[in-house]
Amino acid sequence: MKFLGNLGNTALLSLLVFLTSCREEFVPDIEAQATGILVVEGYLDSEGLSSDLKLSFTSSISDSYEPSALEGASIQLISESGEAYSFSEKGDGIYTFQQDLDEAKIYNLNILLPNGNEFSSDPIQPIITPPILEAGFVRDENGVEIFVNTQGDENADDFLWTYEETWILRPRIRSPYIFDKDLNAVRTRTEQERVDLCYRTVESPDILLETSSRFENQVVFRQTISEIPTNDQRLAEKYSVLISQKALDAKAVEFWEILKKNSLDLGTFFSPLPSIISGNIHAKNGDSRAVGYVSIGVVRQERIFVENSEVRPWFFSDPEFDDCFVSQDALTIGTDIFNSTFGGSGVSPVRELMQGTTIVGYYYAPTRCVDCTLYGTNEKPDFWIE
Amino acid sequence: MTIDPMKQFYFVFLFLLIGTKLSFSQDIQEPRISGFFPGISFQRFMERVEEETSYQFYFKAQDISDLTVNLQADKSKLSDLLDAIFLKTDLHYSFGNENSVFISKGEKLQTQLPDGFFRNISRSDTDLNGQVDEAFVRNNRFVIGELTPGRTKAKLSGVVTSLENGEPISGAIVFEKIDFTRSVSAPDGTYSIVLPVGKHTIYIQNLGGYIEQRLIDLRGDGELNMNIGESIYSLSEVVVNSGAINHISRPEMGVQTLSVTEMKKLPAVLGEVDVLKGILVLPGVNTVGEASVGFNVRGGAADQNLVLYENSTLFNPSHLFGFFSAINADAVESVDLHKAGIPASYGGRLSSVLQVKPKFGRTDKIGGSGGIGLLTSRLSLEGPLGENTTFLVAGRSTYSDWVLDWLEDRADFNASRANFYDVNLNVSHQFGEKDVFEFTGYLSKDNFRFDPDTVYGYQNQNFAAKWTHYFNEQVEASFSGGRDSYDFDITGEDNPLNSYQFGFGIDQTFAKLDIRQDHGDQHIFNYGIHLNHIRLDPGKIRPYGPESIVISDEVEREQALETSLYFSDEFEINDEWMVSGGLRYNLYNYLGPQTTFTYPDGSSHSEQDVTGEVNHESGKFIKTYHGPEFRFSARYSLNNQSSLKAGVNSMRQNIHLLSNTSVISPTDTWKLSDEFIRPQTGIQYALGYFRNMALNTLEFSAEVYYKTMRNLLDYRSGATIILNDDVEQDVLNTDGRAYGLELFLKRSSGRLTGSVSYTYARSLLRTNQDETKEKINDGEEYSSNFDQPHHAVLILNYEVSKRFNATFSGNYSTGRPITLPVSKFEYGGSERVYFTERNAQRVPDYLRLDLSINLEGNHKVRKLAHSSWSFGVYNLLGRANPYSIYFVPQGGSLQGYKLSIFGSQIPFVTYNFRF
Repeated sequence: MKFLGNLGNTALLSLLVFLTSCREEFVPDIEAQATGILVVEGYLDSEGLSSDLKLSFTSSISDSYEPSALEGASIQLISESGEAYSFSEKGDGIYTFQQDLDEAKIYNLNILLPNGNEFSSDPIQPIITPPILEAGFVRDENGVEIFVNTQGDENADDFLWTYEETWILRPRIRSPYIFDKDLNAVRTRTEQERVDLCYRTVESPDILLETSSRFENQVVFRQTISEIPTNDQRLAEKYSVLISQKALDAKAVEFWEILKKNSLDLGTFFSPLPSIISGNIHAKNGDSRAVGYVSIGVVRQERIFVENSEVRPWFFSDPEFDDCFVSQDALTIGTDIFNSTFGGSGVSPVRELMQGTTIVGYYYAPTRCVDCTLYGTNEKPDFWIE
Repeated sequence: MTIDPMKQFYFVFLFLLIGTKLSFSQDIQEPRISGFFPGISFQRFMERVEEETSYQFYFKAQDISDLTVNLQADKSKLSDLLDAIFLKTDLHYSFGNENSVFISKGEKLQTQLPDGFFRNISRSDTDLNGQVDEAFVRNNRFVIGELTPGRTKAKLSGVVTSLENGEPISGAIVFEKIDFTRSVSAPDGTYSIVLPVGKHTIYIQNLGGYIEQRLIDLRGDGELNMNIGESIYSLSEVVVNSGAINHISRPEMGVQTLSVTEMKKLPAVLGEVDVLKGILVLPGVNTVGEASVGFNVRGGAADQNLVLYENSTLFNPSHLFGFFSAINADAVESVDLHKAGIPASYGGRLSSVLQVKPKFGRTDKIGGSGGIGLLTSRLSLEGPLGENTTFLVAGRSTYSDWVLDWLEDRADFNASRANFYDVNLNVSHQFGEKDVFEFTGYLSKDNFRFDPDTVYGYQNQNFAAKWTHYFNEQVEASFSGGRDSYDFDITGEDNPLNSYQFGFGIDQTFAKLDIRQDHGDQHIFNYGIHLNHIRLDPGKIRPYGPESIVISDEVEREQALETSLYFSDEFEINDEWMVSGGLRYNLYNYLGPQTTFTYPDGSSHSEQDVTGEVNHESGKFIKTYHGPEFRFSARYSLNNQSSLKAGVNSMRQNIHLLSNTSVISPTDTWKLSDEFIRPQTGIQYALGYFRNMALNTLEFSAEVYYKTMRNLLDYRSGATIILNDDVEQDVLNTDGRAYGLELFLKRSSGRLTGSVSYTYARSLLRTNQDETKEKINDGEEYSSNFDQPHHAVLILNYEVSKRFNATFSGNYSTGRPITLPVSKFEYGGSERVYFTERNAQRVPDYLRLDLSINLEGNHKVRKLAHSSWSFGVYNLLGRANPYSIYFVPQGGSLQGYKLSIFGSQIPFVTYNFRF
């Protein structure tokens, strides 16, 4: 159970602090095994929302590169009555599915790999996820807690929530200028070249599970999605979170529970023993293994925005940029040093040096203090509302 | 020595000469006897004494034919040894001229002598010159009072005084050992005791623990003033040394005793004397997490140990999540661990029995002891209540909040609160002459609040009563009963609507009848019946607070009845062979009411196998398991110094701890065997060589064992063990086997004492072949969580002076098995770990050194309280012994970590006092 699973961790970590325990970074010497196992991830929306099925392989734990994506597979979803639905390959192992399905039918997923290995799923029964009743936030002494309320029904008892957070990033030093290499001169940035307003989007790896039948009338009330500690960067200006609610069947819950326990709860004193993970995808010839649980259902989404003004007092200051200052001296336009300095990427022009009404040079600052695109994108997301 | 007619002649003849100087043997250089006499015949004993000293024995062969000697002597007086040997016989001895010793069967000899023959001194044991002749006063039979026809009882009274200064001795215990009638001398040294008319051996024990004895022939009310000294060699020391003798002379193996005195010298975390952790220094006992009370005996799981406080089963003998054991050392006399050779009178667990023997309080006066440590303080009070009652009450409590407060200022430590207490109450009452009543009560409670939202609490409650009746010298019976309960609850108050309380509870009521019967001189029978009714509340969740919308849910309660009958015989065949055999028959009934699923025969109870549901009525026998348990051990003495032993033990266990963690976790729940989960069974074969060396000051043993276990529980991947109505669907029937070699060397006397042990042991599991749900490691054998092949422990205690001793301990073991990921994959927005084989890797080896120094206060007699200090360092090397290695996704990619429980030296200091 979730509520007990967390106990060991919080409690013991605290106690261990008290008894001078120590946790050190450590990389054990592990001989790579079980690499190249197919990994299938996806929650296919049955009502036409575009959803991704992701194929990859397991890789050696000591490899630093990303686990390898699987390209060139042919995937089909076949209903009990024989209709076949196909996927379109998007690259990077992502296969897009966008179909309106009959939720009363049972489906099978078939995957044919380029090497000829064939995999298929156990029969999958779509689950119509009930809608999110409310998504909101509360401000308390610890910060801000994002929550949802929902209500399960006879088909949808267990829920998985995933979320994607987006927030505004500001550089320590704002600059309207850019050194244009073509012109060999500093000019004002265009809207597309802005580096003083960026957006950062992060998909959370948290696995949030709850069973609605634990509660009266299957109402899941104030399910915590994200907890943002006071003065965190995310609420320095404006923050948005997209919450996806997916109903799961009992077997899928088990898969996600194992995934969660294996990722988060291991290693501390009363941690459960690791479990072997498999899922509902199996090799047709029986030899190869596969990891992953593919579900079909309706993905319910809700987006909320939180502004800094709603949670004040809230001050964010990143100490990493405390050494950011505008230069004492300006570089004079037209000098060699002006062109070579701004031609590189280390510093950026930030303020003009005026003589009368003419700009004769520019003060500068390290680019990392100026350019927020190093940490996010300056492209305003479609969903963003001012 | 053969009994020739000549000797018999001497015997009779010399007795006729006694009149002149019986037992006034004035030899200043009384010969002293040293040696080791492990269960040899008395005849052989006399031969050895004759060889080594000038003593000559005179006796009748038939008087002593069945008598054996089982003791160790270290410059002891012969009289002391004979006192010990003749303790439960009616044999007597007298010293004649030239170290001649006459052994007689008391009754017969006395009738040959005229009344009052010994009445040189009838009212005082000191002769006219004020000198005490020890040999005389011990062996003289004082005739007290005048015989009145029809009178059966008489009162003996008098004054106990010190031989050294003639002052009255207060608090000396005057007792006899047949009915254990006793009296304690008053501050003016006076005592009085009512005894049946007849011949008695009266013992006097003074404060220092020395025992003196007097023989009396009580005919009517009378006085006997006794002058006793402290310089007299103590019989009790012979008793203390009997441990070493038992080491080689007892038939059973794998039994180890640790006295609280020994434990108190061991360095402990934060200076808390820990009766359970103390046993970790013994060979064959290891633990997975050093801060866990759970221990593993000979490859068995932690739930296979029966922890008994007298007769009470402790289900969770821990405090602070297992950092300390929940038994207050002040209330404990000693701890016996049975790893093999488990007597038939014990049952119910597969691996071991840990018998904690409580103290029932001193008899002399009310006194107490206590201690103040970094985390806890404790206080106990004990003493007599009237003439026939003694009590001990002990309590212990934390004041850890200040430690936590202190840390909170210095560490990231939010709103954590932890506290616990425990209370012991033990009472012993003697009523009549043949009945003893004992009560033991135990209560412990723990509470934690580690984050503001979650409170965790658990408690043990045990009480038991025992009534022992001594029918006669051969037969004693005890009847005991009691109740043990343990429960825990977790309260979550994250927000008022979701607040819940989860609870688990177990409750057992037991009754036992145990009879011990000496049959002839060669047999000791033990037999009895044990009844145990267990009720279990496997788990329930309730809304907490008025606003909560959490739905109550409860796993159906379970109950079962355990009935065990046992019989064992300890049979001393001859000097060389001694065997002990026992049979315990266990009958287990799983009782309704209960609703259970039905599965087809032969299925392994998966969800998809369910064929239906059955409702069983209350009290119905849903399932019955029964089977015999065999206990057999034999000893063969190679010589006086060494023996070989062998044993076979089979055990059954009807209750299982559901635990899917490496160490016992506080949220683990118990489960009764039911229709689908069968009782665990195990059998152990063991062989050992035992040898005492250097006048019994060195004990060496080597034991090997092999053990198989069936119906153990492991868990399928993704198993849920809390609030699960159908646990059978999540457990895997597992077989286990364990084997090992244990070497142990102990030095128990001298300034440097200690022990060194080395164990090589394996503990392996394998999913049962018929299990279809999942086969761990593809059905191959895998290491259990506590399979640590090499384990060595060194304990050294050096007594610099009576007031100052230091203990050093070292502990090494192979790292525990661990399941490490072998590859990784990306899922749910992060890298995740992928596991294949269970327990295929190990954490690095474990090494820890500890040091403690114990300082006693001065020994002035008339001091208000006696105090001592213990201080030291746990984990002297500051070595961060890894408990686990694991990977956590951070920012989407995996980071490996190593976690140690104690990352640095832990100093401690404790102040102890007694009064």
